[in-house]
Amino acid sequence: MSEELRVSPIETREMPGKRRFAMVVDTRRCIGCMACQVACKAEYDTPLGVNRTWVPYKVVGKYPNVKKQFLPRLCNHCDDPPCVRNCPVGATYKHEDGGFVLQRYERCIGCRSCMAACPYNARFMLPSHRTYTPITNVVDKCTFCFHRVTQNLVPACVQTCIGRARVFGDLNDPTSEVSYLVAKNATQVLRPEEGTKPHVFYIGADRNQTEFGRDAYRKPEVMELERSAFKRHFDI
Amino acid sequence: MGDYVWFHDVSWHATYAIYFFVIGICAGLSFLSYGSWRTEALRSLREKAAYGSFALLVVGGLLLIGDLSQPLRFLNVLNPAYLNFTSPLAWGALNILAFGIASVLYLVALRQGNEARGKLLATIAALLALGLPIYTGYDLTVHQSRPVWNTPVMPVLFVALAVASGSAVGAILAGANQAAQKLLREYMLWSTGAVGVILISILGTTSYGGAAQELTFMIMTTGTMGLIFVGIGIVAGTAAPIALLLAPFGRQQMGAVLAGVLVLAGGAALRYALLMGPQQLQTLY
Repeated sequence: MSEELRVSPIETREMPGKRRFAMVVDTRRCIGCMACQVACKAEYDTPLGVNRTWVPYKVVGKYPNVKKQFLPRLCNHCDDPPCVRNCPVGATYKHEDGGFVLQRYERCIGCRSCMAACPYNARFMLPSHRTYTPITNVVDKCTFCFHRVTQNLVPACVQTCIGRARVFGDLNDPTSEVSYLVAKNATQVLRPEEGTKPHVFYIGADRNQTEFGRDAYRKPEVMELERSAFKRHFDI
Repeated sequence: MGDYVWFHDVSWHATYAIYFFVIGICAGLSFLSYGSWRTEALRSLREKAAYGSFALLVVGGLLLIGDLSQPLRFLNVLNPAYLNFTSPLAWGALNILAFGIASVLYLVALRQGNEARGKLLATIAALLALGLPIYTGYDLTVHQSRPVWNTPVMPVLFVALAVASGSAVGAILAGANQAAQKLLREYMLWSTGAVGVILISILGTTSYGGAAQELTFMIMTTGTMGLIFVGIGIVAGTAAPIALLLAPFGRQQMGAVLAGVLVLAGGAALRYALLMGPQQLQTLY
């Protein structure tokens, strides 16, 4: 992105002296093992029914030409995040060094405005009871493992990815692997038309998953039945 | 077949729709109470509308606070160190607070029979009341990634709905007062007509939009949501009261009251459908 394209003062991409972390997800290398989802759950004790990262898949094509398409999902740590604009109390904010979009749990009032603003469904409400942590009834999301990255570690999902489908690094550093991948490959971001400037880049993402699919053509009642079946065992 | 879809929850639930409904009537009644200072026909509604508006503000406030997952932290919204003015919710909280203060002062002036102060405070309260439907509309409009919500006419629609709902309650409260009924019938007719025109434009632009718009249009016009939005909201709650008010029966007290009930039912259904419908598609993304 050139300097001229930066339209909002909050954006940090290509800002001299500042880091801008990003993730590249090479879907050609994703085998759908869900290890990233498990690693994230273990790292944060994320309760049942909600996820900071998740790996939906779709079976595309018709027999015998069929394939499972995976699309690992997480917060896109947008350069111009609508959730930050919409939070009435500044409970969600963008960290200047690194571009992490983070959450101040002690400030969050639980109005869910950030959830409504997020085009990626990356945010969720924590349930009222948790086993190991007192952080409840507030909105939570992926932090790009801020606590690990500040200790020079990569996020838990990147660490565990067996196919090296997830690559993490500083996009403002021209020698980083993410810079190389973004420069050398045709990449795609989710819902670019929303102007959020997401910082999770996909290589080989399938439009069956990046666009609103045929699922939505089913009747709302059917969708509701499926949703309640899905959530039946989760007390959320 | 065999797909793994992660279902997300809608962000805002029905409580918020009830809040929209209640706060819309609250603003509408405040307009009526102000109107009573401008036209003698509404004089009998002055106190009733002012007290009703304040009572609904209390109910709406409690609904809003109760809907938070951290209800006691609602005070954070009033903390100057925390306030984020890019959020319409922050402006809304200040608007509600200011309207609440103006309403209390107005009620005190009414009880004291202070006409000059009452008229001034009625004007201030009505101006602040105008902000209530405007901010609730902006609450949705700022979410530009959601079809229907992202239309810029949403605040205007909420103002029209507030006038229609307020006039409907006014028509029920006015009883046999012929002069008030005549005026309220006009208010109801024009505001419901405005609601109809805005809804047609929203439906038109949504059905001609991209994939998300097209799917949202489908969700909002079929099945249970279709029954609520089109059946109760548009047909029974907008078109039917307009037809009723234009007919000779609509000029009678019973006709106006019946139209008022329909407008209220339609207003509730429209607010529910406009809030919940556009959230459904996003849950599948």
